[in-house]
Amino acid sequence: MDLIANLFANLATGFSVALTPANIGFCFMGALIGTLVGVLPGIAPITTIAILLPFTFTLPPSSSLIMLAGIFYGAQYGGSTTAILVNVPGESSSIVTCLDGHQMAKKGRAGPALAIAAIASFVAGTIATIVIATASAPMTWLALKFNAAEYFSLMVLGLTGSVVLAHGAPEKAVAMVLVGLLLGLVGIDVNSGSPRMTMDLMDLGDGIGFVPIAIGMFGIAELAVTLGKPQDRSLLAVKLRDLWPSWAEIRQCIPAMLRGTTLGSVLGVLPGGGAALSSFAAYALEKKMSKNPERFGRGAIEGVAAPEAANNAGAQTSFIPLLTLGIPGNAIMALMVGAMMIQGIQPGPQVMINQPDLFWGVITSMWLGNAMLVVLNLPLIGVWVALLRVPFRLLFPAIVLFCCIGTYTANNTVFDIWVMLVFSGLGVFFYKVGAEPAPFVLGFVLGPLMEENFRRAMYISRGSSMTFVERPISAFLLLLTVALFVVLVLPAIRAKREEVF
Amino acid sequence: MTLRINTPDLAFAVFLIALGALALALASPLAVGTAAAMGPGYVPRGLAILIMVYGAVLGVRALFSGRTAMPAIEWRPLLLIFGAVALFALLLPFAGLALTSFALVICAGFAAYDVRFRENAIAAVILAAFAVVLFVMALGLPIQVWPW
Repeated sequence: MDLIANLFANLATGFSVALTPANIGFCFMGALIGTLVGVLPGIAPITTIAILLPFTFTLPPSSSLIMLAGIFYGAQYGGSTTAILVNVPGESSSIVTCLDGHQMAKKGRAGPALAIAAIASFVAGTIATIVIATASAPMTWLALKFNAAEYFSLMVLGLTGSVVLAHGAPEKAVAMVLVGLLLGLVGIDVNSGSPRMTMDLMDLGDGIGFVPIAIGMFGIAELAVTLGKPQDRSLLAVKLRDLWPSWAEIRQCIPAMLRGTTLGSVLGVLPGGGAALSSFAAYALEKKMSKNPERFGRGAIEGVAAPEAANNAGAQTSFIPLLTLGIPGNAIMALMVGAMMIQGIQPGPQVMINQPDLFWGVITSMWLGNAMLVVLNLPLIGVWVALLRVPFRLLFPAIVLFCCIGTYTANNTVFDIWVMLVFSGLGVFFYKVGAEPAPFVLGFVLGPLMEENFRRAMYISRGSSMTFVERPISAFLLLLTVALFVVLVLPAIRAKREEVF
Repeated sequence: MTLRINTPDLAFAVFLIALGALALALASPLAVGTAAAMGPGYVPRGLAILIMVYGAVLGVRALFSGRTAMPAIEWRPLLLIFGAVALFALLLPFAGLALTSFALVICAGFAAYDVRFRENAIAAVILAAFAVVLFVMALGLPIQVWPW
């Protein structure tokens, strides 16, 4: 009983922060521009978040994180909209939405497809918010048992997870993690105060900026590559009159949504997990459960509801390791850490204890962000469709401009623009050789944290690396890491993985 | 003898080795310390060596893993977009936001193969005005608007 009373008290604290008019406004703005940028074909949610990141920096911490949450959900939903209407998945988690969603759209049922996607996301979001609120307290308790060795092992596990889920060759993803870790170390060493690998550039004293890297690799590089590809943007007409699905269809979808939510909530917590894995698993499950699986791939409405619910639940519960342990599970969460650190917040168990307003405010604003999507995106479907009709040649110069201004304003220095340009070039190179930027970004954010914990653990153990396997929690985490690697090299799973990605 | 080089893999391997070597050179003045009391150079050096070895392994494998050509690069969008970014960095400190934004949009606009001159110019004026209104007037960011 105490637990439930606590839960409600905590959620009340959160809502008192999230529901101020100003913060509702920021959440609304975030969801609006998130969707606005997210619906553009070829722009993945991570790109959207990277581009919009700098615009939250001028706000106070709680408002800034609330706006980010709005952007996050707006970007996710924008991706689904493009998937359904144009059949261009913005990211891997929308591929599944394309399968049945676009088929529905082809049959003139784009409205119900978009509506059920929003409803499923909202249902999943509501449940996942409660999951986060309940799971966070015990996770924080666990986190307080963590020492340097455990943190190090957990980060190794997280990075391995990002390798498993990266597209393309896993051996390249491993290399990208290592490169990210190395570049994360550039700057002044906290222990000794000596500048490291800065090439005597004063501007690199605080390390390579996170914003220019994220915008360069995900924003500019993606644009430069996308423009070189022929674009198929045959847009389907949406009749706005028949927007809502029938009651029978909604009832039909409820079990699918609940199964999707459960699956997504569990998979989202896993390091390296999150949206993509959840939506694939949910789709496969629905197909297996269905009495007539041949409907799938031809416009089955459960085929939209389940992965959308799973995707959203997974995206949301992937905040749990971030908020409680301070460790981002995937590249999008790595961007969130970057944003928090710029606000002077070091994510981790102490946030919940020292700044409960902020912690619970962010959690409730996730639910608010989901609610925004339903009230905002459905009535505005006409606007998104109109935006999809604007020629890309007019949109992308605007995106380049906002990338530049955003990068500049993060630190008010032109140096960051040059850094962004360097990483745009690297991003194109990585794309051409088939190496994913996501593991790199995760490595980059975790680099300094990992080194610090590694050094501390080794100092405590007087230089014995056995400490990582002698401490039970750490040993367990490393065992999981080994298991993940074994899974990665097993030929059967490898074949399956190639089929999925 | 036919060559069986996987060019993208080899390029990536060469990049890894070069990056590792650069990091090793840059980290060489830093104290290494011992495993129990690591200096600032311990982890960077370890990572740099690891990356070089890893790159070497990938490189050797790429030599025998079947002929694969480097994917073609579309130079026009690439160079014009990168050029537009460079233009922004060069112009902003003295030309101000309005003119810089205009120049960036004109330059980036030509990255699209279906660019139309008049449309691009109009877009540039509108976007420059929008940037000034949004970032300087509404958000109050400290950016100079005009060169004077």
